Amino acid sequence: MLTYEPGDSFAHRLDPRAKLAVQIGFATAGLAHTTPLGLTLLGVVAAVSLRVSETSLLSSLYSLRFAVPFLVLAPVVEAVSLGAPWVDPTAAVDPALASIRILLVFLVAAAYVRTTPVRDSRAAIQRLVPGRLGVALGMGVALVFRFLPLLRRDLLRVREAQAARLGTERRLDERLALVAAGGLRRAFARADSLALALRARCFAWNPTLPDLQFSRRDVPVLVVACVLVVSVAV
Amino acid sequence: MATEHESVELVGDELVGNVARAALFAALMGASAYVSFPNPLSPIPVTVQVLVVFLAGIFLGPIWGGASMLLYLVAGAVGAPVFAGGSAGFGALVGPTAGYLWSYPIAAAVVGTVVHGGLELGDYRVGTVRLVGAMVVGTAVIYALGVVGFAYVQNVGLVAAFWTAAAAFIPAEAFKIAAAVGIVRSDAIAAE
Repeated sequence: MLTYEPGDSFAHRLDPRAKLAVQIGFATAGLAHTTPLGLTLLGVVAAVSLRVSETSLLSSLYSLRFAVPFLVLAPVVEAVSLGAPWVDPTAAVDPALASIRILLVFLVAAAYVRTTPVRDSRAAIQRLVPGRLGVALGMGVALVFRFLPLLRRDLLRVREAQAARLGTERRLDERLALVAAGGLRRAFARADSLALALRARCFAWNPTLPDLQFSRRDVPVLVVACVLVVSVAV
Repeated sequence: MATEHESVELVGDELVGNVARAALFAALMGASAYVSFPNPLSPIPVTVQVLVVFLAGIFLGPIWGGASMLLYLVAGAVGAPVFAGGSAGFGALVGPTAGYLWSYPIAAAVVGTVVHGGLELGDYRVGTVRLVGAMVVGTAVIYALGVVGFAYVQNVGLVAAFWTAAAAFIPAEAFKIAAAVGIVRSDAIAAE
């Protein structure tokens, strides 16, 4: 599974805001230039971002395996029709280009995920989204990262208990309800103790965040992000 | 460290509780991306995620239910492994299932609004017709945005988008609606 790994690559040392800007610029430019030439140029940007983040192409591709059926099916369904001429390959060109574009956006996003720790993402969110909304959003995101493994384990435990008691023989809606209700109870119980702990520790609007500062190495990355956004108008 | 020097301003008690619940619901939504069941009607497995969207609207209300789903999207975009099959990253928010993902906060807010009869949090133990109606509307929102999103992102027509990205998944929604009604009726959760 693709996730953050500590490292010393060029991308690891970049400001997370610069990396977010590149992703947004890349996705916007991709939508505007879903052509063979546009995608070739964007492919170069994607290859460079994988290289400077020392992210493996194979692990990035593996992490998007759930999107692959859609990427393959879309051009096929568009090309096939229920009547003469049955198959029209030219109709598949645009969806196929779109699939390539999506693949490239996934690769650039993978480089961000691989090189950015949670605390940096949280700090970036709190600086980008103004005021208390940003603080609440940053805090919430940090909590999601913290509690995800616990709730995954809770749900797994409910499923194992269900399987051990022949619950797998029940009707689908009953199984769904049992697992969801178990997860819900655990989530509410954890939320209550979390809220109590936050209050006890004087949860405040001005928490201490890691320092984020643009440096000289962020300049080329921000230039790339600007060029990508401006290219939409070309 | 970027330390702030002005006096500390505490977050209000009610807000702390709401943020904690929204975050935990977002984490539950992420955890359910890993849970799927075999579907008796089609070879595509059923996931619990849409059920959690309904439950967010029902139990947290329109505002905090929607907020929790928004938290889920932001956390996934910055790297929490919460999207289909444990994937992460901004790519999913502009990928083939982007329409579905963006529809979750809206659907949770819609379900919450219908069940609670407005933006204020009321009693979620309403009549079965209203409960089911809320979820049917929520399902319609999810699939409408999902199909439009798929058509836009993949550059295909709406009909092709429907057959590729929606048709096979719709029948299983009935099970999720039934499950949500079961949870609300069973009093298994006492969330006050």
